[in-house]
Amino acid sequence: MKAHYLAITLHGIRQNNFQAFLAVLGVTVGVSALIVSLGLARGARQSIGDQMLAIGANMIVVTAGNYQVKRPQDSGIAPADHGFLMPDTSVMRGLASMESPRLISDLEKPETGGATFLLAHYEDDPNAEHDHPTAAERLGDAMAGLGAAATLSIEDARAIENSLEGISFVASGVHENARVSLSEEEGGKSWFTRLHGTEPTLPSLRAGWTYTSGRFFSESEFNDKSNVMVLGQVVSDRLFGTNANPVGETVFLWNQPFEIVGVVSSKSWASRPAAGDDQFDAIYTPVSTIHELLNLSKLNTITAAARSAGETSRLAKDITMLLRSRHGITEQMPDDFTVQTQAEKLLGSGLPPDVARVVAGNMGSVDNITMEQLSGSLERANTTMVTLLASIAGVSLLVGGIGVVNLLLLSVTQRTKEVGLRLSVGATRRDIVFQFMSEATALTLTGGVIGILVGISVVHMVGEFLGWAVYLSSLSMVIAVVISAALGVLAGLYPAYKASSLEPVGALYYE
Amino acid sequence: MSRFGEVVGTNEVAVNANVIKLDNVRKTYEMGETSVHALKGVSLSVEEGEFVTVTGASGSGKSTLMHILGCLDTPSEGHYSLGSEDVSRLSREDLAEIRNKKIGFVFQGFNLLPRTSAAENVEVPLLYSRPLEPASVRKQKALSALNLMRLDDRASHHPNQLSGGQQQRVAIARALVNDPELILADEPTGNLDTDTGREVMETLVELRAKRNITIILITHEPEIAAYGTRIVSMKDGLITSDTSNQ
Ligand SMILES: Nc1ncnc2c1ncn2[C@@H]1O[C@H](COP(=O)(O)OP(=O)(O)O)[C@@H](O)[C@H]1O
Ligand SMILES: [Mg+2]
Repeated sequence: MKAHYLAITLHGIRQNNFQAFLAVLGVTVGVSALIVSLGLARGARQSIGDQMLAIGANMIVVTAGNYQVKRPQDSGIAPADHGFLMPDTSVMRGLASMESPRLISDLEKPETGGATFLLAHYEDDPNAEHDHPTAAERLGDAMAGLGAAATLSIEDARAIENSLEGISFVASGVHENARVSLSEEEGGKSWFTRLHGTEPTLPSLRAGWTYTSGRFFSESEFNDKSNVMVLGQVVSDRLFGTNANPVGETVFLWNQPFEIVGVVSSKSWASRPAAGDDQFDAIYTPVSTIHELLNLSKLNTITAAARSAGETSRLAKDITMLLRSRHGITEQMPDDFTVQTQAEKLLGSGLPPDVARVVAGNMGSVDNITMEQLSGSLERANTTMVTLLASIAGVSLLVGGIGVVNLLLLSVTQRTKEVGLRLSVGATRRDIVFQFMSEATALTLTGGVIGILVGISVVHMVGEFLGWAVYLSSLSMVIAVVISAALGVLAGLYPAYKASSLEPVGALYYE
Repeated sequence: MSRFGEVVGTNEVAVNANVIKLDNVRKTYEMGETSVHALKGVSLSVEEGEFVTVTGASGSGKSTLMHILGCLDTPSEGHYSLGSEDVSRLSREDLAEIRNKKIGFVFQGFNLLPRTSAAENVEVPLLYSRPLEPASVRKQKALSALNLMRLDDRASHHPNQLSGGQQQRVAIARALVNDPELILADEPTGNLDTDTGREVMETLVELRAKRNITIILITHEPEIAAYGTRIVSMKDGLITSDTSNQ
């Protein structure tokens, strides 16, 4: 049955080459417009999404300690026998005011298996008697071990990761200021930078990262507490010069040798590496290694990524609730941590100029916007463009479809004698309907396939020469094929009906 | 077994098998207020292997008769049996199948599809045969029908590359391709010059001799009518004479 119609269709199309060409051309224009508009629209959306992620719009950072807590003697909120928070995080290491029973049991059986510095208690345990050499004394670097508040644990990080819906990744962190040197001796080349002890999941949180060379440290290096280090681009440039590949070289931190495994840089216009920034003027090592070297067990920060930027405010609240309950904080007591969305941070420190321009173009005032509003405003701008392009595609497809209807109607008239002849040799009305329908569909599908090819090339050229963000999905190809087939069926319907209502005798002698 | 498969030259003799039996057939066209009586009661029997030529003035009802004989149209009154089947009240689909399997048409204007090769033109009836035969079989059947018309060297020519006589022989090949019982030809020589017309008529005579196929041919020219084994004359929708011409 199918082969039957195919044979008739091929016969039919071949004798009407020029009409077929025109019909195909109309559909080709429509479908390529569709592919281009979908490609550009998806590209723009992807690009907006990428930029939002790259600037960290979906980040939530939990910091140990709480600036807002007043001294107990001023407010009387905190019990007098508890420690309190100082406004300077680097000295906020004494806070254990609300330790839960679980927290204590943690401290009772420390799990630091690396036996090098196995000690009775951690240095960030505020209840312990510190009767042994400090990290600074042991490692021979006066700065080692400074700057850690101690209310967040690895278990808190895992709890956030596992029990909250909408969180995609969590990385724990210990952050120090540190000097990294090329040689062990004094006076060698060195750079004073930010040290981040973190987890191998961190790159998943940093959508805007790219590796100039090497890679991030691995799960096994993390578990082995290896002395491995990833340099930010700025640090690599300062120590080894621009365009150098320092992977495999050794640098010294707290007089300990670290092997460089990678150099990380930014791929986004929204955050370019610059001296003094927190991501690329920085070095990264496993937090397990830092904990081991400094004999610490607590975290300064937990960074969580929301699946979408629009959810950060809700998730920030959820994290606050979760940590309060985990830390056993009662209703009247203040948090012993600070939850900040990256949005608040960004707006506090000023937006990257390109983002600021987009925002300024789309919103009246940037004073009070949230990242949700920024994201929403970009989405709306994008939706407007998608709608515009889709209308263009729709109109050209309509024109193409009407073209096919016209050409087929003309062809029914021109081919009345042919229909009569076909009827006289045994074609049924059904055969005639299917002939015209399948001719229409074959024409529009041919137009569709050519249109897809043309569309793909145009999208590539726009991406190449105009530098626009483009994105070609296989879904858009499927949509294009389905639309052209449906167009063929629709366009063939009326001509096919007209052709099939011809009477054999009348049609045979039509002039 | 296909008639093409038989040995060329076997002159099978028909034994009184009626291919066609028309019984008091009338055809009336309603034209608003007036009705046109194109056939006013035609009875006709044709046996297998006969070559009947139908003559008569323009408007006498020859074509109307042929359309009814060819199942392109149905009688207003009366009965028509083709083979053993009463086809006067069959559905459109059944009529289409009869046209496809049992009847081959040859028209005055050839009615070939333009921009389509001779072989493909001949193949068209096979496209509507159920079950559909494989393309290779269809092609081979088309070529052997063209071969019978001595046109095998023109198989890939388009109609506009062929002379009128050649085009009409392509049309005859198309009428033959599905191995019909009956060939109906309406003024097949009407668009051809005298010599070419004669050539086509001789082809049909030869074909009948080879195949024992039944032919009914309409013409208004007496010298063309003379090729038939039987000559039927019509006037005003009625048969006025029916004579043997052996
Ligand atoms: N479709 C039709 N509608 C109305 N009248 C018709 C139609 N076909 C034929 N006729 C009329 O029927 C009569 C016979 O026509 P036709 O069979 O074509 O004659 P012939 O072929 O002998 O010239 C003529 O008067 C013609 O005008
Ligand atoms: Mg006539």
